[in-house]
Amino acid sequence: MSSQLFFYDQQIRRFLLQFIRIMSNYQVETGLDSTGAQALIRVPVIYGDANRQAAQILAKNSETNLSTVPVMAVNITELKYDRSRVQEPNFVSKMSIRQRAVDPVTGELQQVQGNTFSVERLMPVPYLLTLKLDIWTSSTEQKLQLLEQILAIFNPAIEVQNTDNYVDWTSLSYVELTDVSWTNRSVPIGTENPIDVATLTFQVPIWISAPAKVKKLGVIERIIASIYDTQEEMEAAILAGKLLNGQRQYVTPLNYSVLLLAGQLQVFLPNSTATANSNNGNVPQNWPAVINVFGSIRNGISEMHFSSEDGGPDIVGTIALNPMDPTVLFFTVDADTVPVNSLMPIDAIINPVKSLPGGKLSTPAAGQRYLLLDSIANTVAWGVNFAAAANDIIEFDGVNWTVSFAAALASGNAYVTNINTGVQYKWNGSNWLKSYDGEYPAGRWHLVL
Amino acid sequence: MPRLSMWRPNHSNDFKFLDRIINEQFTVGGTGINVHLYLGPATQTDSVDETVPEYTNTSAQNIQDLLFLENRDRSYRPDIFNIRGIYQVANNDFDLSQFGIQLSTDTIFVTFHINNMVQMLGRKLMVGDVLEMEHLKDYFPLDENNAVPAALRKYYVVKDANRDADGFSQTWWPHLWRVKCEPMVDSQEYKDIINQGPGVSTIYDAFININDAIIAQAERDVPLSGYDTSQLYTVPVKTGVGPDVPNSLRADNANFDVPVDSTIPKVDSQTITPDAVITGYLTGDGVPPNGFPATSGIEFPNYPNIGDYCLRTDYLPNVMFRWDGLAWRRIESAVRTNYTTGAANNQTLKSGFFNNAGVVATKGGNLIDSRQGLSKALRPPED
Repeated sequence: MSSQLFFYDQQIRRFLLQFIRIMSNYQVETGLDSTGAQALIRVPVIYGDANRQAAQILAKNSETNLSTVPVMAVNITELKYDRSRVQEPNFVSKMSIRQRAVDPVTGELQQVQGNTFSVERLMPVPYLLTLKLDIWTSSTEQKLQLLEQILAIFNPAIEVQNTDNYVDWTSLSYVELTDVSWTNRSVPIGTENPIDVATLTFQVPIWISAPAKVKKLGVIERIIASIYDTQEEMEAAILAGKLLNGQRQYVTPLNYSVLLLAGQLQVFLPNSTATANSNNGNVPQNWPAVINVFGSIRNGISEMHFSSEDGGPDIVGTIALNPMDPTVLFFTVDADTVPVNSLMPIDAIINPVKSLPGGKLSTPAAGQRYLLLDSIANTVAWGVNFAAAANDIIEFDGVNWTVSFAAALASGNAYVTNINTGVQYKWNGSNWLKSYDGEYPAGRWHLVL
Repeated sequence: MPRLSMWRPNHSNDFKFLDRIINEQFTVGGTGINVHLYLGPATQTDSVDETVPEYTNTSAQNIQDLLFLENRDRSYRPDIFNIRGIYQVANNDFDLSQFGIQLSTDTIFVTFHINNMVQMLGRKLMVGDVLEMEHLKDYFPLDENNAVPAALRKYYVVKDANRDADGFSQTWWPHLWRVKCEPMVDSQEYKDIINQGPGVSTIYDAFININDAIIAQAERDVPLSGYDTSQLYTVPVKTGVGPDVPNSLRADNANFDVPVDSTIPKVDSQTITPDAVITGYLTGDGVPPNGFPATSGIEFPNYPNIGDYCLRTDYLPNVMFRWDGLAWRRIESAVRTNYTTGAANNQTLKSGFFNNAGVVATKGGNLIDSRQGLSKALRPPED
């Protein structure tokens, strides 16, 4: 048989603690001390409804242990549903919370954003808690000393709260003095001589809350990102569990563009025209200032995602701050996200006019492949009957050079890796470009912190 | 021959014979009882209250408080008298009706021989005298750590004293004194006896420890009034070339008005700080948002950078300011305070009146307490 999940948040218990805190630390005079000065003694406050065993333990299991006077004891006399304060029972309050990041090593709060949550709170249930404070004194003067100090506090109430949690909307209440019973004794005293007990009655309107729903705020962040990144499928991302279940936030910093060159990232203000060849006078911005709006970079863990213009898979890599230059992030690409080569790798990129086989280049061997920066036409070095255009890839078949990739005839994109440098290049129909280096405008990149 | 009669207007030999026999019964069958004799209220000094007179002697006939007719500060003779008494031992149950540690049925009636008592004590037992029952000494209290240094003594306080109806002999003269006794409690009245050292155990320390534990947990739940926002992140605002978050994307855009005055100097994007704090009831703690550093003092620092914070401690409550390039703007007041009664950092309005330890200098160079009862405030001092 299934059971409801256990829940207990000590809501009334915490109010009792605070009530006893309010009543604590009062003192009364106990006569002159050895120096002739008026001695004071602190009046203890305890919960009045003690368990018999606990009481006997406190009494040292002995009839000889002396009770103490004065003392104050608190007990609950009533917990009543407060119909006058009832509100829409099905109302759910939603609260969005951004937390500061916490250093995983020291546990200290950081100055940057950490987790973001939304908190859903169901309408709490109103109750009226009635408490009684018994004041046990050994003399009338002692009772007056205590009452004068306590009664001056309540006019008619003082605030009380059972937690300082910002999201707890039920924590704040007040303690109202509603009745004073002067004594439990009959006056005049008669034949009995019981210890005098004055009783103060207090009412505390409280709320009993159901558990809150704490959710990742990532979905909201994703909506922001999607404004700028139409390539992303939010539903697919949710299904993939990237948003709801992960510990990361998906963020597209606002309208900024980035420039990726040789594993280094720079970020520019919106509408800049920085390119791979020139930043056109734009000043690269400090990465921490950009990132700190959303969170903090975890070196080697945080990721940068780039989407391609042709709708291909994202290029993903980890990022790390350059400790020497805050305008630069180091980018280490995840090799699994790099586009698959559509052509066999090349040995080098050469100018066939200046670099000749057997000269700057090694002696031709079967399988050698070069990407040409200039055209060849019937030369001794390359073959009298061989011609190739700039941007073509040529290959030696053991006897002759042949054109392996004719740029002028290619349709669609082509990818090839230069073995000499390890850099992958992309043929976009008119030029060979580094396959993922370059400028990414707003909407084509985002961070995973 | 005179008429036969046991009555004599004076203590005849019949009375003396019977009195000796009765006294012998106490010697044979009574239990030893130590008597702590009440001497009178402790001497009051410098009393300015006519209803609490300053007696020149210590006497059991004095009354300390003539209004409430009670003796709160009682003196007991340091000498202890051992006399014999007889009472009926009864079964007791712990009673939890009042704070749990009472023996409500533990009221005993002890009978003493009058002449022996007066001979030993100098007077009859009276209300306020304390009896220590030797045979009820507890050698085995719950004391696993051997914290109790001696067997615990059992004390009773005389609550009533009269002749015993069973103590009249055939001569019609009384021989017995009956006192009604209840357990002594640890209170102001019996300080003289409780302070006599080992063998007296009270529950006071245990209660104080319990109370302290409750306060400690309450302070852990609510260290300061209001709400703790230190772990919450405040979105920074545009202060120059640094990044900005469009108003439409802010959680609370009403609080993030960005100054547009072009004369405001721009700031390096490294120094952006929020110019607002988490809002709410009693959320001001005097700490800058997001944990940024702040200076504190009674004046603003020179040459501040835009975004610097300063906590002015000469304001009460302290006020946090932020330099925006033109002026120090108020961010928040440090209104959160400790709620614990009497705590040094309890800065509530009421605590400011109750726990005011300040003094005021007069023109004559004297210092007077700032905290005074309204009935005594500004009264001319006595010579």
